[in-house]
Formats: sequence, structure tokens, C-alpha cells
Amino acid sequence: MKTMFCIAVLGAGLLLTSAPVWAHHAFAAEFDVNKPLILKGTVTKMEWINPHAWIHIDVKDVDGKVTPWMIEAGAPNGLLRRGFTKNSLLPGTEIVVEGWQAKDGSTRANGSNITLPDGHKLFVGSSGTGAPFEKDGAGKQ
Amino acid sequence: MRKRISEWSGLVLLAASLPLAAQTSAASKASTGNSGKSWNTGSKTPWGDPDLQGTWTSDDTWGVPMERPTQYGDRLYLTEDELKDREKRVEQSKERIENPSDTNHSPAKAQLDAEENGTPPPAPAAGGGRGGRGGRGPSVDAAPVPGQFGEYARRASKQTSQVVDPPNGRIPALTPEGLKKRTAAAALRGKTPETWTDWSIYDRCITRGVAGSIIPVIYGNGLEIVQAPGYVAIRYEMVHDARIIPTDGRPHLPNTVHTYMGDPVGHWEGNTLVVETTNFNDKMGIGPNGGGFESEDMKLTERFTRVAENTINYELTIDDPKTYTAAWKVAFPITHEPGYQIYEYACHEGNMAMRNMITGTLAQEAAAAAKKN
Repeated sequence: MKTMFCIAVLGAGLLLTSAPVWAHHAFAAEFDVNKPLILKGTVTKMEWINPHAWIHIDVKDVDGKVTPWMIEAGAPNGLLRRGFTKNSLLPGTEIVVEGWQAKDGSTRANGSNITLPDGHKLFVGSSGTGAPFEKDGAGKQ
Repeated sequence: MRKRISEWSGLVLLAASLPLAAQTSAASKASTGNSGKSWNTGSKTPWGDPDLQGTWTSDDTWGVPMERPTQYGDRLYLTEDELKDREKRVEQSKERIENPSDTNHSPAKAQLDAEENGTPPPAPAAGGGRGGRGGRGPSVDAAPVPGQFGEYARRASKQTSQVVDPPNGRIPALTPEGLKKRTAAAALRGKTPETWTDWSIYDRCITRGVAGSIIPVIYGNGLEIVQAPGYVAIRYEMVHDARIIPTDGRPHLPNTVHTYMGDPVGHWEGNTLVVETTNFNDKMGIGPNGGGFESEDMKLTERFTRVAENTINYELTIDDPKTYTAAWKVAFPITHEPGYQIYEYACHEGNMAMRNMITGTLAQEAAAAAKKN
């Protein structure tokens, strides 16, 4: 990876095509829908805690400076049911995270998708991808 | 309250006094969940009650709106064509979730890779399915990595809404008192939170209430039913509420006692378990995760009727004249998924959302103050 750090505040068209769904809490109070981001980093640990798991990654910028980020993921129970195990994201794994930055400007984010080294994508938190019957409005709490 | 605690202790004693064979049978069914392949409409527990035991979920109603979209009018069920469309979408969701494909690549990653390599983003791979996935990174195990973490329906519901009565599938109009609650809730949503009570009971990991614990949401829709002579116990996964429901004909608690989950008493009508719950505290409501409105006078009547090995028909009648101008009913099947387990949900274990919402609010206030100055 030549560029270990990339944070891109994308135009409204890409990430904002899908509004995040309320998970366990009020998204709008915690994360900034106007701060979508993409991070590329290396997993340092994953916390399997309720009500949401948190993925810790180190993000290195072009000058080599490392910044730790915390990424909120889905509920551990749901992740486990979908086949995501404690071995799915081991420390050292390089991932790409799409999500929204915390409203307080800290290095925390709500993850919508993560992409694994082989290119496979996992929906980890917010919605807009893969949820059935979205048009019917179900699941939007 | 002391009396009630002693009665709960009685449940343990009652279970302890059961013949060993009965306990083993009950425990076996409870732990393996719906393992009784010989179940039929006459199946009973060893002490003669209809057998509802096992693990169940409301996942199959995922995607069915609570209130009926107006285009369906008074029609509760989809037409054949509409059902085929929903079946197609359910199958697509299942396929996407259970067999994530190579085409499910991230445009963001392609963009970043292209930036690094100085090349155009690659086109998505053709085909898909597990067979075409290729190798994984060394730190990724062999478990399937799904396209989403949430729950999904395995079977397409025929219903156009979860509300089945009134006939238009819409929640009845609110009374003036109900409207006051709605206005207050809207004001709360619109204001900057100032204290912990400005966040919902659910945000605070307290409970989801009776209705909110079973109405399907994005995850955690499981429940387990365990029976003993004179009792039915139901535990729900998300926020881990448990209800101990006596079926021995006792009256409700005095109306001076009010709680989030209310006071349930049950009885059997043929093969149907009927649970009437009163003594609510008016802090929850009837909706996903406990949203909506209720009063202390609300009475909920639930009916659980097992109609197949893997299906219980569930009905919930809401009778709350202080809040709603008419009684109304929600109904949907709860079903069993092989291998489904109820996991622990220690909700406040890592509820960092509370801290993040507070710091988010402070940042918002600081930004507003800076703008003013």
C-alpha cells in the first residue's frame, strides 16, 4: 500500500445516496451526515461489545503519521449470525472503511461498509445497502 | 412486590418439583429449540399444556411495514403478482446475504486502488457466488463474510401491513392525550439534548417494552419460550427482557403498581396461550423498539397459537382508550430457524453511543456559539 491514509470527504452524490438507518441510537446526534469519509487502515483490535461492535484501526498518512480511529459496526449478535467471527478481522488486516465521522470531530466513525483485502465488502452498520424492502420503510427505526 | 418476588421464586421451586423426565424433556426442547419433530396440533407438555417451547423470531415479517401503505386500501394480503414480487426480493436478499458474490465489491476500494496504482478502477468481476470468490487474505478466516449484518426474512410474508385491525391497516387516530404525547415526542426529537432523559428508553438500554420486543427490527428479533406447570416464560434477545407469565388464574397486581413491561397474566383457550398485560408505566409505546405511545391504563392482549412445527401465529391487541380512539391489532407469524440461538445482549456493556451523543451535542453547541459570536 503506497498510500496508507486516505480520508475523502466525498461529494453528496456518492455516500449520501443512502441515508443511514437508526441503529441502536440516534445517528444524527452522534455522527455527522455531512462528513462521509473513506479510511484505509490496519486493524489493531475488534471489540465484540453490545450494543455495537467497534473496530479499531491505525490510519497512516502520507508522512507516515499514524492516527488511531474507532469504527462503530453492527451488533455482535447480528454479525455472528451472518458468519462474522472473531477471526474475520484479525489485527494486521488492512481494510477500507466507508462511513460517517463523529459529530464532535474526534477520530471515531460510524461504519457503513468495510472492504476486506480480497475486495469483498461487508455491511457493518448503517443501511442503504442490502436491506430488503427498503421502499416499504421497514427497519427504519 | 415482596409477594411477587416470592411467587417468582415459586417458579423455580415448581420446576424443581417436576418429575425428572418432564424436566429433561422441557430442558431439552428449550435448549435445542423446536426439536420435537413429532409436533402436531395436539402436542402437549408433559403436564398437559399446549407446547410452544423453543426459539422463535419475527424475522419473516422483516420488511412488512407496520402501517399499511395507502395504495393497498383495506387489503391485508398481497395479490399473487405482488407476492411474487416480494418473494423475488426476499430471494435476492437471501442470496446476497447468504452467498455474497464477487460483484459485491466496494466502489470506494476500487477508487482508492485506482488512485494508488494510477490506473482506472477495474470493472466488477462477472459471475459471483462463493465459487468465484478466489483467495482470501491470510488473516481472514473461511467463514462467509456477508453483505450485511442485519436480519432478513427467509419466507415472504403475504401481509401488506403488521396492523391487521382496523381494516385499513392504519393505527387509529390519537386521542387529545395521545396527541399531547406525540407533540412532546416531536419536540424532543427537534431539540438539542440537554440531559440523559432527553434520550429514549431504548437509547439508554433500559427496555423495548412488550410490543417493541417482538416487532421486527434490523437485528435481535429472537425470543425463547420456556414452560413450566402454571407458568410460561418468554425471554427476548435485544435488551434481554424476560417475562414470567403465570397461567394459574391469579388477578393482576393492584393498579398502584406500574412498570415498563407491565404485569402479565395468562390462560389457555384451547391451544392458544392468551396473555393479558396491564399495569404499564406509560413511558413506552407500541412500535419498533418501544417507540410510539401508551398510557398507564393500556391493556395488551397477546395470543400465541402454534399452527405448525416451525410457526406460531402471534396477535397483539392494543386497548388504550386514553391514547388511541379505538382498539387495534397487530398480527404476524413468529417462526423457527434451525440452529437459531438466543445470544446474550448486555446492552449497556459498550453503549458508547451515549458518550458520543453527549460530545456530539457539546460540539454542536460550541459551533452554534462560535457562529453567533
